[in-house]
Amino acid sequence: MADEAPHTATTEAPHEGGFPPFDTTTFPSQIFWLVVTFAFLFTVLWKVAGPRINGAITQRRRAINGAIAGANAARGEAEAAEAAYRTALAGARARASALAEENRQALNAEVARAKAEADEKAAAAMAKADADIAATREAAKAQVSVAARDTAIAIVAHLTGDQVSPEDAADAVKS
Amino acid sequence: MALNPMEQFTVRPLFAEPVLHIAGHPIYFTNQSLLMVIVALAASLFLTLAVKPGRLVPTRGQSMAELSYEFVANMIHSASGEDGLKFFPFVFTLFIFVLCSNFFGMVPGSFTITSQIAVTFSLALLVIALVIVTGFVKHGIGFLKLFVPHAPWYLLILLVPIEVISFLTRPISLSVRLFANMLAGHTMLAVFGGFVVSLGAAGGIFTGLAIAPMLLIIAIMLLELLVAFLQAYVFAILTCIYLNEALHLHDHH
Repeated sequence: MADEAPHTATTEAPHEGGFPPFDTTTFPSQIFWLVVTFAFLFTVLWKVAGPRINGAITQRRRAINGAIAGANAARGEAEAAEAAYRTALAGARARASALAEENRQALNAEVARAKAEADEKAAAAMAKADADIAATREAAKAQVSVAARDTAIAIVAHLTGDQVSPEDAADAVKS
Repeated sequence: MALNPMEQFTVRPLFAEPVLHIAGHPIYFTNQSLLMVIVALAASLFLTLAVKPGRLVPTRGQSMAELSYEFVANMIHSASGEDGLKFFPFVFTLFIFVLCSNFFGMVPGSFTITSQIAVTFSLALLVIALVIVTGFVKHGIGFLKLFVPHAPWYLLILLVPIEVISFLTRPISLSVRLFANMLAGHTMLAVFGGFVVSLGAAGGIFTGLAIAPMLLIIAIMLLELLVAFLQAYVFAILTCIYLNEALHLHDHH
């Protein structure tokens, strides 16, 4: 142990007036502690802190990417649901309008049929009425000639006292 | 004591007895050792405990840890490509160690680990050693093509020595950049701090004038916070760039 004792005890600078960083007697201590502390820090950062920080970063990245993927999937689902809703709506609308059209046509047919029936009934009633009128007229006409004949007989009988036969009277009335 | 701006860079043993001897050199537990232990423990604990896997919404601490992780991962990915990521633990440690050393050094009364050339040069040598080992493992003797750019042979006579020298000076530039930046910033702070003390002690109108260097210290302090981060970043990104060369040689395009 050949200590030249450059540092032996004091808090004094070893070489007064010298430039401390170039004081080579301190170099062994400096380098020794540099190696020790640097190696310690290297080991900790390499084996413990580095993987820990890396784990935290990748875990967060994974969580964010997972959340984004989940959001995208949810959006896709929502879009699919919306499309399904739209097609269902369009289908329902088409069905409803078809149904309405059908109803309308059925109603129209019904109305037309009822109208035709009523027309027919009315026409029949009208024809019957016409026939009745004609018959009544004929009856009335016959009634009129009989009345005229009887009147004529009555007039002749009253005026002349002659009894005219109904046939003669009828001929006379007719002429 | 604070009037010598270089005094803050003195590495002094905290205990009179050396912890152990290595090849006859006594190893002391120094003020710098204490800061190194604090940095290593604080960074280890923070980066481990602030993060809880499965916590989907990070706390502020976890955000910082994840941010630093992804920052370094992106840095390696952009500078060294996909296969550079196997060096992630090393570059991450390097970045965190330098960053924490720089920031802890900003605490008044503490010690700036990276203001010591022994530390920065050791780290730079570690980087270059890793680059050389990676290069030879990946390309065998073909790694030496790194020193032969695409050029006519008569230019190579000139270019190869230049490439070799530029490669050999890398540990120096890498270490001195960090060392000098930290040293200069802290020296400047100490110098202006000395002004505040001497003006304050001068009495009279000078006491009032002490506010000027005080304001300057605040401004430099903010600048130094930026430098602390920037130098850690530069150290890490240069490591990535050197590793990229070892991995892919000159194959641009």
